[in-house]
This record gives sequence, structure tokens and C-alpha cells, in this order.
Amino acid sequence: MTFFVLGIDGASWNVIRPNLKVLKNFARLIQAGKAKEIVLREKPISAAIWCGMFSGKTVEEHGHLEFTKDGKIVKREDIPVKFIWDILKDKIDVRVLNVPFVVPPYSFNVDFRPVGFGLPSNEKEWEEELERVTETTKELLTWKPDLLISVFTLLDRVQHFHWGEPVVLEWYKKLDEKIGELVWDTGFLPSETNKLILISDHGFCSFGEAKVQTLPKRTPYGELKGDHLERAVLITVNVEEEIEQPQDVFRVLEKEFLRTKS
Amino acid sequence: MPRRKKFTTVSIPVQLFEKIKKQIENTGFPSVSSYVGYLLREVLVEAHESGEMPFAREDAEKIRRRLRALGYLR
Repeated sequence: MTFFVLGIDGASWNVIRPNLKVLKNFARLIQAGKAKEIVLREKPISAAIWCGMFSGKTVEEHGHLEFTKDGKIVKREDIPVKFIWDILKDKIDVRVLNVPFVVPPYSFNVDFRPVGFGLPSNEKEWEEELERVTETTKELLTWKPDLLISVFTLLDRVQHFHWGEPVVLEWYKKLDEKIGELVWDTGFLPSETNKLILISDHGFCSFGEAKVQTLPKRTPYGELKGDHLERAVLITVNVEEEIEQPQDVFRVLEKEFLRTKS
Repeated sequence: MPRRKKFTTVSIPVQLFEKIKKQIENTGFPSVSSYVGYLLREVLVEAHESGEMPFAREDAEKIRRRLRALGYLR
């Protein structure tokens, strides 16, 4: 049995739902499992949400809000928590790829150099991340680890710069194809034993509509058109436990691998 | 399950190879390959355990530039 957590930074139901006819692998997963919207209780800030998702801690508890603090890049060792992989590493085969709670994104037990230091910022780099995360994840799936966590970050950047443009859906379609390759073409699903959590850290909306402004409107790369929405995507397959908040992912994994099921 | 290749080739300068060869004389390492493999594993394990990938100082500056350009660092 492999438990696969597939993270998609910034994946948003308001793009996926109206386009399920062309996002066939999202549609197929929704049919195979359960889909819901997570309404975040915490601010939709990527660093904090991914950190909470895999540490089980609230932002007050882990204290990690942004990629930088006082002008310095925050590193893994600056965050005083144990992540799920730290807890499980001596018990099971756990592989972690490209989790963007810090920059460069964090990998564990996997040799992976993130594209653009985890901040892919143009089409060429988005394509490269799509390919490299997919290929590395596919290879890891063939090893049948007990737990695999893998995250794509490109959609976040695409939507910050192009929200409201047709190109956003084009990138969702590209990602949808890769999801198909990872989940169905590898034989990971359908399965009665393998488990999947597909999750985003937040959704997206127009820059002016966002309750929290995560980045300044004008950047040297251009004007931002989209910003984070406090509504995230969740699709699970073969996972019985309910996930209401990102921290519940930690609890589900902890229960799966550490506690006896009730 | 596809069969995974166990070894592959990595190129290093001949001069460096010769230096390493000299260095491992009278040690327990049977070949330059085994010594280089050992060193790389050490570096990667250290990097994973500390949570830091092995980035050079100039890479850190590139990361800061990207963070600044995207607005994360003001």
C-alpha cells in the first residue's frame, strides 16, 4: 500500500469545477473518490498552510508565516516542529518532494533540485517544473514507498500573473494530463489499497477580491492579476477520515501509520 | 516493476580523479567510484537531515533576487 499526497499549490475549485469536461483526470478522480472544498480558518499563505498541513500545528503553534523573516530566508531548522516525515522516517519508507513551506521547497529522502529554486517564474520554468516533478514522482511511485508526498508549485505563479486569462485553463489542462500520468498510467489507481489525497493550500481570485493581499500588486516581473482565496481543493480516494483543515492531513497520516485504527 | 539500473557514470576531471586515487591509497576504499559515492551520500544525508539542500552561497543570492522580484522580500 502506498499513501500518496499530491499537493497542488494554488489549485482552485473556481477553475476546476466549470471545466471538468476538459479536466478529465480531475473529473475521474472526483468520481473515484470524494471531493470537497476546504474553507481555511487560517490566512491563505502558502508557507504557513503547507507547514501546518505536514506538522499538524496551527500557525500560532508553528510560528512560520512567510518565506522570509526580518529580511532573511527562513530555513527548515528555523521552524521548531516535527513534520510527519520526521516522525515516520524510522518506521516506514517515506519520500517527500518539493514541499513549498520554505524556499527552495523541501525534499526528504529524495534527491531533487527544485526548478528556479522553487520559484518558477516564466513559461519555460513552469514547463520544466511540470515535467521534472512528474517524472521524479513517477519514479518514486515505482519504488512503492509507504508514504509519498509530492507538490507542484507552478499554478500559483501562473495564476498570480495571468488570473482571468485563458492561459490559466491551459496550464490546468497540462497539469490535468500529468495527474493522469501519475495516478492512472502508473497503475496507482484504481486500487483497493492505495490511498490518495489531492490537496491545494488555497484557491485563487482576482487581486482586488482577495481578503488577504499576499504579494504587492506591482513586481519587477509585472503586475499581479490574481491572489489567494481562502478556499482550497480536496479530493480523496480510499481515505475514510474526514479532512476539514490542512492540519487534518497530518492527523490522517499519523493515524494511518502510527495508531491502531478504531 | 521495472528493473532499476544499479550504477551509472558521472564525469569528473582526470586531475581530480588522480588526486582522489592518491588520497584513497592505503584506505579501505577499493576504488575512486566507491569513495566518491560515499562522499556524495554523506553530503546528501547531511543536507536532508539539516533540512538544507546543498546550495552554494551564490545560489542563496539568486533565491533572494527571485523573492524580491516576486514581492516576497521587500
